Amino acid sequence: MLEEKISEINSGFNQDIATIKDQKQLEELRIKYFSRNGLVSQLFDELKNASKEEKPVLGKSLNTLRTDLTAKYESVKIQLENSKEKEEDKIDLSLPGTRRIIGSKHLITQTLDEIKTIFKGLGFSVVGGPELESDYNNFSALNFPPNHPARDMQDTFFITEDFLLRTHTSPVQIRVMEKYKPPIRVIMPGLCYRNEAISSRSYCVFHQVEGLYVDTDVTFAELKGTLVSFAQQFYGEGLKYRFRPSFFPFTEPSAEMDITCFLCHGKGCRVCKHSGWLEILGCGMVDPNVFGNVNIDHEKYTGYAFGMGIERTALLKYGIDDIRIFFENDFRFLRQF
Amino acid sequence: MKVSLNWLKDYIDLKGIASNDIVERLTMSGLEVEDVVDETAIYKDFIVAYVKEKKKHPNADKLSLCIVNTGTEDLQVICGAPNVESGQKVVFAPIGTLIPKGNFKITKAKIRGVESYGMICAEDELDLSDDHSGILVLDEKVNVGKSIADELSLNDTVMEIAITPNRPDALSHIGVVRDLAAIYNKEFKLPSLKLHESSHKIKDFASVEIEDSENCPRYTAMVVRNVEIKESPEWLKNRLTKIGLRPINNVVDVTNFVMYELGQPLHAFDLDRLAGHKIVVKSTEVESTFTTLDSKERKLPAGTLMICDGEKPVAIAGVMGGENSEISNSTKNILIESAFFNPASVRKTSKRLGLSTEASYRFERWVDPSGTLFAAERTAQLIAELGEGEILNGVIDVYPEKIVEKEVPLRFERIKKILGYSVPNEKVISILKRLGLKVKFESEKEFRFSVPTYRSDIEREIDLIEEIARINGYDNIPTISKISISLGEKVDESSFVDQTREIACSLGFYEMLNNPLQGESLAEITGNRIQVLNPQSIDMAYLRTSLIPGALSVVAKNINVGEKTLHLFEIGNVFNLNPDKEKIESFEDFTEVQKLLFILTGKENEKTWQQPEKSFDIYSLKGIVDSYLLRLSLDKVVADSYYNNEETIFDLYYTKSYKGKILGTGGRVKKELLKQFDIPQDVYCFEFDLNLLKSIKSEGRKYKEPLKYPKSIRDLAFVFDKSVTYEQVIKFIWQMSSELLKSVRIFDLFENPSLGENKKSMAFSLEYFSDERTLTEEEIEKEFSKLISEVSKKFNATLRGT
Repeated sequence: MLEEKISEINSGFNQDIATIKDQKQLEELRIKYFSRNGLVSQLFDELKNASKEEKPVLGKSLNTLRTDLTAKYESVKIQLENSKEKEEDKIDLSLPGTRRIIGSKHLITQTLDEIKTIFKGLGFSVVGGPELESDYNNFSALNFPPNHPARDMQDTFFITEDFLLRTHTSPVQIRVMEKYKPPIRVIMPGLCYRNEAISSRSYCVFHQVEGLYVDTDVTFAELKGTLVSFAQQFYGEGLKYRFRPSFFPFTEPSAEMDITCFLCHGKGCRVCKHSGWLEILGCGMVDPNVFGNVNIDHEKYTGYAFGMGIERTALLKYGIDDIRIFFENDFRFLRQF
Repeated sequence: MKVSLNWLKDYIDLKGIASNDIVERLTMSGLEVEDVVDETAIYKDFIVAYVKEKKKHPNADKLSLCIVNTGTEDLQVICGAPNVESGQKVVFAPIGTLIPKGNFKITKAKIRGVESYGMICAEDELDLSDDHSGILVLDEKVNVGKSIADELSLNDTVMEIAITPNRPDALSHIGVVRDLAAIYNKEFKLPSLKLHESSHKIKDFASVEIEDSENCPRYTAMVVRNVEIKESPEWLKNRLTKIGLRPINNVVDVTNFVMYELGQPLHAFDLDRLAGHKIVVKSTEVESTFTTLDSKERKLPAGTLMICDGEKPVAIAGVMGGENSEISNSTKNILIESAFFNPASVRKTSKRLGLSTEASYRFERWVDPSGTLFAAERTAQLIAELGEGEILNGVIDVYPEKIVEKEVPLRFERIKKILGYSVPNEKVISILKRLGLKVKFESEKEFRFSVPTYRSDIEREIDLIEEIARINGYDNIPTISKISISLGEKVDESSFVDQTREIACSLGFYEMLNNPLQGESLAEITGNRIQVLNPQSIDMAYLRTSLIPGALSVVAKNINVGEKTLHLFEIGNVFNLNPDKEKIESFEDFTEVQKLLFILTGKENEKTWQQPEKSFDIYSLKGIVDSYLLRLSLDKVVADSYYNNEETIFDLYYTKSYKGKILGTGGRVKKELLKQFDIPQDVYCFEFDLNLLKSIKSEGRKYKEPLKYPKSIRDLAFVFDKSVTYEQVIKFIWQMSSELLKSVRIFDLFENPSLGENKKSMAFSLEYFSDERTLTEEEIEKEFSKLISEVSKKFNATLRGT
């Protein structure tokens, strides 16, 4: 009889467990079969009444039954738990995450950083100088004679007759050459001021990077090589360039460097004024008069210098058509870069 | 300067050379051609046509229907001009012609129902003038069917050349020709002179005296008598209009023509209006007034170089003539002035008067002192030719001290030293000779050259090297691909500022850049402002004394466009006059300091589906500033001081200082100031002195072994009197604890009526641990309970149930 009951309970359990859908039903199942008064326990109670001969056999069957059923119960329990976890896992991944705000440097600073990185790689140091300068450092020491029309090339904001807002970063050249002995290889970034009419192409303040290299064997050929290397790193390989004679009082010979207009690839467009070329910087060999003003022997040493405007460079590189936007600090602009 | 290619060809043979090659070579040798107008290309499609017939347009009152003969066919054309008539010769644009004005192409069109096969042009449409009153009616002599490029001599190429200040010699057609001759290795010729002088001697009719020969080293004068003032001939008007000048009369036009031909500014006086028929060149001794020929009365400072007659000033030397001696239609006898003035003197006068003319522009740069005579003769010849005048015999040429040609040495080896490549000696000599220099001395290693007086820029060896470089071509200078770098110490003075920028960005701040020039109302808020002598506008008349006012303007502007949450930083220099100074006389009289500003307003967090919104407050600012200092490893050495009172900018503020020096100040911007900027919301900012901050040596960071032993954490909460500050409590906790206490953090703060009147609760979390061993419960408990009782005693505080 007991044996029949065993198989009865076994099949009954199998039927029951197949219908289990949740924890509650599972608990009911556990109580029904495995609790103190549950069906399986009852069978063990009944075992006491079995004959001595039957007892071992039945006991074994009962144990097997309990092990089987417990195993099945456990496996369903795990299944249920897993599926419960999955239920909880079903979160809406499409909801937006919590963003962290990372700010950014001004586009001008970013452009300056790029330029700085390239020149540091070419062995240049980085130094600065004041914006409120003496007329001597800004002009006279740089071989702009007083009362000379060359001064008209740079409209100047004066503070007094002898002090002014620097019109270029070149006075830092004077400061550096007064302070250090050659070899000197530095770039000098900074803010400059010009009293020019404000328009989409020109603003009264702007940034420049000045470069200076003074040593015993510095030549125009090296100047060309260095600047071409810079331009290729900054604007991209394979660009065409040219050096055009120009005039700056503090360099001689002087040149302006043009690269192929990267908007029209040299065909001529509005940006390059239909010339196919874009002027990117001015440069030249340090004028012996400048060396004289800072007591460097111009027979022994030669040097080159160059300077470029950062706003103009950034305008070209990012396709911005109004220079004034750099100083307006519209948050919607600042966040774009 | 505008230069006409046809005009250049009067002096040099450029046959077979394309105009774009000329443009390119000029640019690449230092005379930068900025713009080119090729008339032939513009006008080649326009033809001379004949109006055979003019009828009224059937459907429009103001339009005419014309039959136009183009030489090959008759075309029907609708014309709107009031002056079109049959029998006229006109400029006709056939279908397909590109019209210069407006840059559009002529197509077959139906105008009010009638077809039109082209356009009869007005002057403005051809870009010849602004005249749109009617069509351009041509002279009878022009040939129908021919291109107007030939018939109207619209076949020039006009170049706009940017002449750098060192090249005044190139401010004329001959000047450009000299460079072209050197570039193409060609000969050029000066205009030939054929003077028909009369038997009357100039000395009997005029005299010249120089009193100030320092400022007027040379004065050359010629006289042409019985001149008829009239319109200039076509060829002359054409030359002038091509380069943008307006023809006036034969005398004025000739002086302009010769200036643009030779570079020598000239002036024509009405000889009969010169008292005593006399010229005296002298500087004024006292301030005076003078009416120039543009009818403007000008104030002349003492020491202005003037051209005078026997009684009075008649011209401002080198700048502009006077009304009292100018040529009029009744002028008969003319004195031609061709002088050389001291460049610095002319520049000074021109600057002081704020008057720049074509003449002063040239004189202040340098005009060839050797060229005055030739220019005078050329002018006299042309005036006599065009005005049927009589050139008096001889020239008055006052030139007390002749300016001689400079001699400049050149060592051949220096060329390579500067340029990085060798130019063969013969080539060097050839280039310099082509530029008009002469060999004065030669040896194997060194030559000496004499330099023509028109090349004021060539004085030194380096100037010769520049000439060689530019004429031989910068393209021929090698571009080396290898450089050597010395291994000495490298500096980067910007590294601290760069690091600051990186930290600011990582804290969520965007960088702004403001113009340091601002109006008085901004500059005066924060310091002792410095004024600009010649500002562009009153809004930019001062240098900023702090970054804060400029930043507040930015905040206001952004709020105006709806950007109400802002977290910005700026690094820039501010300028202050030292308090005891009135004026800057040396670098010691003012300070220029690099500052860093953090400014924030609006919401720290927007409301999201996960968290409520939170506005920036003073604690946001404090946290940001502390995080910045922590990143610089300066958090341990910098001390805070707090102020609850108002000052110029803040109504609530605090400072950061190091060894008693204030590094920076920040806080909540006071309402009154916000109102001035029209900012309707709270703004917080902190401004650091970067020069000071940079100078502090941070301790740097050293490795600390991760803790091997467990930490014990204890929380406690007290009810304090409201007046007790966080700072007082935290200082006391540290003071009362042993070195086992490693950190204290406030995690709760609130006020509630249930705590009692004027009470608040502060809860702290304390961390205890040792680097050497595990702490026992007992020792922590002992320390902690001692702390509780001390805090209770000290602040009369009650421990809240934990």
